[in-house]
Amino acid sequence: MTTNIQPNTNVVFSATDQSQQQARRRRNRLFLAMRYAVLIVLALLFLFPIVWSFLNSIKPPAEALAVPPTYLPTTIVLDNYMELTTFGRIGVVQHVGNSAFVALLTVVGTIVLSTLGGYGFARFEFRGKNIMFIMVLSTLMIPFQSILIPLFVMLSKVNLHNSLFGLALVYITFQLPFGIFLMRNSFLAVPKEIEESALLDGCTSLSVLYRMMLRLVLPGIVTVAIYAFINSWNEFLAALIFMTDQNNFTLPIFLTNVRSGLYGIIDWGALQAGVIVSIIPSLVIFLLLQRYYMNGLMGGAVKS
Amino acid sequence: MTTSLSLQRLSWDQRRKLTGVLFVLPTVLFVVVFFIIPLLMTFGMSFYDWPLFGDHTFVGLQNYTDLAKDRQFLKSIDFTARYTLMITPPIFVLGFILASLVRHNIPGISIFRTIFFMPVVIGLGVSSLLWVWLLNDQVGIINKIMLDLGIVEKAQLFMARPDSAMAVIIISVIWKTVGFTMILLLAGLQAIPDELYESADVDGAGYFQKLRFITLPLMRRTIALALILSVIGSVLSFDQFYIMTGGGPRNSTISVVYWIFNNSFTYFKMGYGAAMSIVLLVVLVLLSAVQFYLLRDNT
Amino acid sequence: MNIRRLSTAALLLGLLIMSLAPLSAQDEPVTMTMWVRSINFSVQTLVDEWNATHDNQIELTEVPAAEFVTKMGAAVAAGEAPDIASIDLIYTPAFASAGQLVDLTEYVNALPYADDLSPAHMTLGEYEGRNYAVPFAAEGSFLIYNVDLFEQAGLDPENPPTTWDEVLEAARAITALGDDTYGYYFAGNCAGCNAFTFLPFIWASGGDVLSEDFSQPTLEEDPAVSEALALYRTMWEEGLIPEGAIVDGGENFTNAFASGTIGMAGTGAFGIDNYKTNYPDLNFDVTYIPGKDGGTASFGGGDNIGIPTGSEYVEEAWEFIEWTLSEDVQLELYAGNNQLPVRLSLADNEYFEEDPRLSLAASTLSVGHTPYSLVYNDLFNDANGPWLLMLQVAIFDGDIDGAIAEAQQRFSEIMGG
Repeated sequence: MTTNIQPNTNVVFSATDQSQQQARRRRNRLFLAMRYAVLIVLALLFLFPIVWSFLNSIKPPAEALAVPPTYLPTTIVLDNYMELTTFGRIGVVQHVGNSAFVALLTVVGTIVLSTLGGYGFARFEFRGKNIMFIMVLSTLMIPFQSILIPLFVMLSKVNLHNSLFGLALVYITFQLPFGIFLMRNSFLAVPKEIEESALLDGCTSLSVLYRMMLRLVLPGIVTVAIYAFINSWNEFLAALIFMTDQNNFTLPIFLTNVRSGLYGIIDWGALQAGVIVSIIPSLVIFLLLQRYYMNGLMGGAVKS
Repeated sequence: MTTSLSLQRLSWDQRRKLTGVLFVLPTVLFVVVFFIIPLLMTFGMSFYDWPLFGDHTFVGLQNYTDLAKDRQFLKSIDFTARYTLMITPPIFVLGFILASLVRHNIPGISIFRTIFFMPVVIGLGVSSLLWVWLLNDQVGIINKIMLDLGIVEKAQLFMARPDSAMAVIIISVIWKTVGFTMILLLAGLQAIPDELYESADVDGAGYFQKLRFITLPLMRRTIALALILSVIGSVLSFDQFYIMTGGGPRNSTISVVYWIFNNSFTYFKMGYGAAMSIVLLVVLVLLSAVQFYLLRDNT
Repeated sequence: MNIRRLSTAALLLGLLIMSLAPLSAQDEPVTMTMWVRSINFSVQTLVDEWNATHDNQIELTEVPAAEFVTKMGAAVAAGEAPDIASIDLIYTPAFASAGQLVDLTEYVNALPYADDLSPAHMTLGEYEGRNYAVPFAAEGSFLIYNVDLFEQAGLDPENPPTTWDEVLEAARAITALGDDTYGYYFAGNCAGCNAFTFLPFIWASGGDVLSEDFSQPTLEEDPAVSEALALYRTMWEEGLIPEGAIVDGGENFTNAFASGTIGMAGTGAFGIDNYKTNYPDLNFDVTYIPGKDGGTASFGGGDNIGIPTGSEYVEEAWEFIEWTLSEDVQLELYAGNNQLPVRLSLADNEYFEEDPRLSLAASTLSVGHTPYSLVYNDLFNDANGPWLLMLQVAIFDGDIDGAIAEAQQRFSEIMGG
């Protein structure tokens, strides 16, 4: 039976082929237009908070406080940013510096440790390797939120609790599993033969890593660096707990102070200026290095 | 000859082994000092009365029995569970819709992908500060728009009622995180061969049939991953409540991590906080186990 | 002005000469560290003055108020506590009981004016009969009111309310002016603000929230508690308080009254200083927080100063503390900077004569109360604590009895350990 019907349908298909194709093409074009319309509306919705935050940040300070608010700035000024530089006696510059210091230290520390460790796990055989690897990766399963209390106690004891350096050490630890995983995979993807000849020539492992391998795993390193930067730049809870000195506040902690108001008034313009200041570095890095960021996401996705 | 050769090889092997250990040693040290030891300490501290000042005293299981009587802790579990249940479906559905919309490589599509993903790289703390302003009754732009469009008669105090506070926080977090789900699902969608859909078209399958019989089954692992990551993120949430509601109104938005934070670093009952951390940790490990189960390879 | 400047110069010269005397007793000058929580009082000015006139130097660190206890705890653990600490007075019992402060009883007893120091501060500085801290900065709460709105509403700004009925009447009259004016304001989501401004309503009526020995909560027994809540509830229900108050965690407080549309609100001397400096056009006056049928009370707030255990410079640190309490410093550097003297007899001084509002503020210290509790923070100051929850449920939801019962239970639990 089925074999009999088959040719028939085929015949029907070819008979109406032309008009159907035309209809389909028209329908497709309509679909495409609708798709773009929906995409544009959604994109505007997604952009709206950032754009209006930015617009608010370039209003004159008095206008940023106006009730009801204005949609667009009547005059464009940078007063809110200037105000932020003197806010709370210390000012935003120091806090940007603090955040940058912690983020850069985290980036450097994470790169060095994950490159060495990734290479070690990828290329060497030694007793306990698997256990150590699993131990490092298991960090991913345990939320860092659950070990903040002893970290606070430990860091207090060695007087590192209120230090940006101590904060960076904690951040590095929590970037390590991802970094190790990604770097190990990067090294595994490099053919073994490349380094073997060099090793036989008597080069030390470290110089092989430095002279030959680094270049080959650079994309992995960039990815690890981006994640280390963005995560440490944005981190809130640990910084909130560990930093007890105003001088040491990172940008997000400083901004919650701006939001708490000074003498019973919130400087909304300055707050939005601060939001923009803290968004920019992450956004620029993401936009410039999107490809690496997405690679990391996929790499991270595979491991989970 | 032979002995010296084997000796040489052995020492080369040993050197390799030693080098390998040296390469991973810094990482392992970091993980032991800043992760394994604190983890064991959390467990140990949970059996102590551990104030900020003065001595700590062993109290056995006291902290754990106190937990069962702590109404706010139970409320926080209830709240965190409700929050997770309420935010996970919309994030997933919206993420899926966005992924479907940006799936095909039509001109300009990468711009849209980037725009939808952008909020993901902003910190949750900072995005919460941004939304605090957007949602403010006096200076916030959202109330202004709703007033001008005639949707509301007077400015809304979103943070004054538990339900509206929860709703606006969910909206803000969706904005911040949905791009992440979108990208995961997009990768899953793009991994499905086009031929499958083409042959389904030939069989006259409609959109929902294709969704049910092709897309969803083939994306099982990706979907599980997206859901689990979203659930874990919600269970651990803190920043948005700390910044946007301060736990209010009437303590209705105190998440579990928030309550741990309060007990440990506001009331300085660090042993008690450690006991709660252990409970949280067990829940998270269970979630991870579910994740491994769902992501297991069938083949 | 010139005379004052001249007298200041003379004072400084005097201090300089005086400071030379103890020098001979010491081997060499020391540098002490001092922590102060960020408050609206320029401690830096004070310390600069000390450093300019003394050989022993002080290095000042300002610690955000919310971080003070955490930082102190961490520092103690690391053996890095400062030599001098100015602590929110409500925390002094907790610090003293944990053995974190040096016993200053002998020093205090030697002060000829010990009885003249703000009683609320001294009570909080005591633990088991010994003194561990003395007053450093004083804040008493009182009512601030908008004179223009009082006049427009036909009220007499010279005779502000002295009973709750009068408060209510005045609030109604001012709200009736329309144009988004409101009779009363309080930051409805701020725990500490309302300990400061709402507790005095209860005290002034003869009530209290803790038993006399501070061992038990008395929220349920004491009718003044539910009556005071009912007063606020009535004002809220009748729309005499702007709706935005419900979400104000204290960050919008000044803004609200400064807008000129609020009739009355509770505040402290920091408010006077702030409005005078930043809103010169605001026509306001101040009065005591009244009891139900009269009477007055105030929250004795501010900072105590003490010497953390482990300091190597107890003697030197006390010299600084004693200096801050001296009449000259209290007058020139405190009163002269709109800051309340911590010695009661100095409330009336030449600086405050120019502004009777400050005299009134200073005089509230003599009716100052402060709850004494090792867990004050968890009870009254915590944004998620039982005190604020009680206020919100009672005032905004209207369930006064339920709110009090719940708070009584939570207070007992927290105070019991």
